Amino acid sequence: MGKIYDRLAQDYRIKEGLKACISCGTCTAICPAAEFYRYNPKKIVSIVQSRDDDAIIELLKGDQIWYCGECLSCVTRCPRKNAPGLVVMALRALSIELGYFAESEKGRQQLPLMHAMQRNVLNYGYCVYPETFAYEKHPEYGTVGKWVKDNQKAVYERLGAHLGQIGPGALRKIPQESLDELKAIFDVTGATRWMEIVEEKSQEKAREMGLTMEEYEAQAFNQTSRCHLNDED
Amino acid sequence: MSQNVVVIGGGPAGIEASRRLRDLGYTPILIEKTPVLGGHLARWDRLFPEGIEARTVLDPMVADLDGIKYFTETEVSSINRLKDTWVVKLSNGLSAQVRAILLTTGFDLFKAEKKEEYGYGIYERVITNADLEDWFKSGAAPQFDAVNVIGFVHCVGSRDEKAGNRQCSKVCCVTAVKQACEIKEKFPDATVYCFYMDLRMFGRKYEDLYLKAQKDYGIRFVRGRVSEVSEDNDGHLFVKAEDTLFGKPLKIKMDLLVLMAGMAPAADNHQLARMVNIQTGEDGFYLPQSIIGSPCTSSREGIFFAGAATGPKTLPETLSEAASAALAIDRYLKTPQKK
Amino acid sequence: MIYQGKQRIWSEYQKEIPTDHWFYVRSCIRQSFFPASEKTFLEILRDRLGKDVYETPHHTTCGGIAYHSEAIPQETVMTIIARQFALMTEAGYENYVCSCITSFGLYSEVIEDWREFPELLAKIRENLWKATRREFKIPTYLAHASDLIYKFRNQIAEQAKFRLVNKATGEPLRVVEHIGCHYSKMFPSKGVGGAEYPYVLAGMVESWGGEVIDYPERRHCCGFGFRQYLVKANRGYSVSNTHKKFESMEPFKPDMIITNCPGCPYFLDRWQYVIAEQTGKTYGENGYGIPVFTYEEVAGLVLGYNPWDLGLQTHQVAVEPLLDKMGIPYKPEDKYKGPRGELLQRPDFPMNIKCC
Repeated sequence: MGKIYDRLAQDYRIKEGLKACISCGTCTAICPAAEFYRYNPKKIVSIVQSRDDDAIIELLKGDQIWYCGECLSCVTRCPRKNAPGLVVMALRALSIELGYFAESEKGRQQLPLMHAMQRNVLNYGYCVYPETFAYEKHPEYGTVGKWVKDNQKAVYERLGAHLGQIGPGALRKIPQESLDELKAIFDVTGATRWMEIVEEKSQEKAREMGLTMEEYEAQAFNQTSRCHLNDED
Repeated sequence: MSQNVVVIGGGPAGIEASRRLRDLGYTPILIEKTPVLGGHLARWDRLFPEGIEARTVLDPMVADLDGIKYFTETEVSSINRLKDTWVVKLSNGLSAQVRAILLTTGFDLFKAEKKEEYGYGIYERVITNADLEDWFKSGAAPQFDAVNVIGFVHCVGSRDEKAGNRQCSKVCCVTAVKQACEIKEKFPDATVYCFYMDLRMFGRKYEDLYLKAQKDYGIRFVRGRVSEVSEDNDGHLFVKAEDTLFGKPLKIKMDLLVLMAGMAPAADNHQLARMVNIQTGEDGFYLPQSIIGSPCTSSREGIFFAGAATGPKTLPETLSEAASAALAIDRYLKTPQKK
Repeated sequence: MIYQGKQRIWSEYQKEIPTDHWFYVRSCIRQSFFPASEKTFLEILRDRLGKDVYETPHHTTCGGIAYHSEAIPQETVMTIIARQFALMTEAGYENYVCSCITSFGLYSEVIEDWREFPELLAKIRENLWKATRREFKIPTYLAHASDLIYKFRNQIAEQAKFRLVNKATGEPLRVVEHIGCHYSKMFPSKGVGGAEYPYVLAGMVESWGGEVIDYPERRHCCGFGFRQYLVKANRGYSVSNTHKKFESMEPFKPDMIITNCPGCPYFLDRWQYVIAEQTGKTYGENGYGIPVFTYEEVAGLVLGYNPWDLGLQTHQVAVEPLLDKMGIPYKPEDKYKGPRGELLQRPDFPMNIKCC
């Protein structure tokens, strides 16, 4: 048993999600990611179950663990009460903690993702918020979405939302003291430290790749290489 | 007058043990809750590995019940300890006082509808191994149109903690291979798949059957557990599994899917165990004193087991265990009583 | 399909849902994309059914989307959830209802983890105290908002002005229900009807006159996948999963789709538009898409709400073909009006998918 495995085994999602795998493939059979990406949750669970640190580190530094959509459809079907999706979540967390996420293209997406999510939660108290949902980044929002964005205040008022207003209601402004509590929770529980790790490792990696931080973040958000999908050469 | 022994359960184990006990000079009282003797065997058409008809085994047994008192459609109402004997009261009003009781309660076929994702009882083209035997035995043709692609799902309710059955049911792998060959004979142009986790071909001639299934019948074996079954608007099925040896998810359109329902502990086990104060294991089957050394003996004096009541068994294993149980009872009854 | 087989399964998953006194928390996605749905939910519960549903302005996101994008650790999301529970405790409630399936799944998971690992619960209590000086009780009952609409579906049916019936033919509308993965796939017993044949939406559809369609990819994810949508480079995952579902449901000719989760209706609606613009393929009749609704929108339509008060003008797939089928009157000229009746410049027409 290796040191990396020992650390992984501390994660409650491993305690909850990995009893003993029988490698039957029930999870892979219905995995939305397995059909699309070169991804196989059964193999990932097998590697973790092997307790082989070198193989686990390879996972932590690679693209595979970032392919899962966390739909957790695998949980329903596993005959051994495992949860491959939870195992992947524990691997991702460890990949961030150890700074290995920056070694893979899909892992490097943590920078734009964490910027978007953490800023939304800390500034607005929501994971998704109209003020930061830019049409330019979401062309699939459609012609109607563009119309909503162009007439944001009027449309939300028309639909009974309280966008940016005081008191209860949809999209209300969350009181500053509540946002301060979220910040305190971030500080106490490790979310702030995660952002620091991701900032620091991303900067190192950007230097190594010869990119400015802006270029690095844009590349991580927008670009995908031809090596991830099942139907690619 | 010869000594009575109560045998509870009129399947192959109960019938065979009763015959052996009779041959040893006892009078077995054989109790069966259903209207016919023979248990699951009475429903089966042909037997692995050679495909002989089940009736060629069962009929001679049932024709040889002289000296055995047997009661069908009869259940045990109560069992009480009286000194060194057991008083067994039956639902037909009779009662017997005996020194030895043999539990040959067998197994229940796992209720395939409990594996909700396979859609048994919801999708018409999903049937069980037992349904298929009914069909083979009655000769009634299926009501479905062109049957071109057929699947067999191993381990339905076996090796499945979620379904509450952790054990391997032992007989399903070889039964699936047998049934796959049989159905291929009925539909020679059909493509037939077996979805398995491990192929457990442990008995004599089982491996030969597997070889024949591959070589002569062209059965396709896919190493992967079926994850989901669904239905299209014509009633055909989609079956999802991973071919784990290739590491790729599969989705196959099928015309018929056969679920290999496994062996679950008999539902009555708990009640009978309470009556005679013995244990069932966490799997629900009775616990013998030792699985290896004394598989027919319980922790209580005068209570014996044979057959699938103590866990999944093949028919020959069940029959030989029935003979062993008869000998164990004989030895017990011949041992001088204490005090 | 043997309907009785499903009924048997439904009868085995009957979740206990209290009738009144709920502490209500909103959904980040539902309020951003379907704000009128939350408004409709509260109106139905409070005004039509006279229920006590309390909302505090201090509640926040549960952090679920950030957590499932690995933007915050598990301990953080658990402590945010503990804070939500503290607000409930302080307000004197024990029944907790949330408007989001991601939240619902996460609450179920977290409560289960705390039950299994008491030392983890102790740690989270300590975290919350350190960060906010708050204490909390775990809710006695946890429901998703759709559980409540399901519970009161027959009362809604009694007040119905319209039914899920094709007015011209008298036939029931053919309805696809999409449940949202985190509703019951992790904990089948927490959802009405279980994981394989959930009944929470099917029950509404049946009660309101429609017919549920069971198509092969019914149980498949809509394709959100958190990071698989949130990061632009990954969106092929998201659209390809939606595409797979539409290809599978197409032969069944559905009239509409009803959804449970706040994200699914957005993806099932918007990806239809993207598929049409990229490939020319549309899945509805006469070049339209298949209209997609939240359950609150469907309840609102059944109860006779003005479609534009329900926010149906913010859907990309036109809803008018369905309104016509149900015989619901609407004013096309009001569709794109602002809060004071002022006309806002209408959206552009897409190239390939027909809009009104």
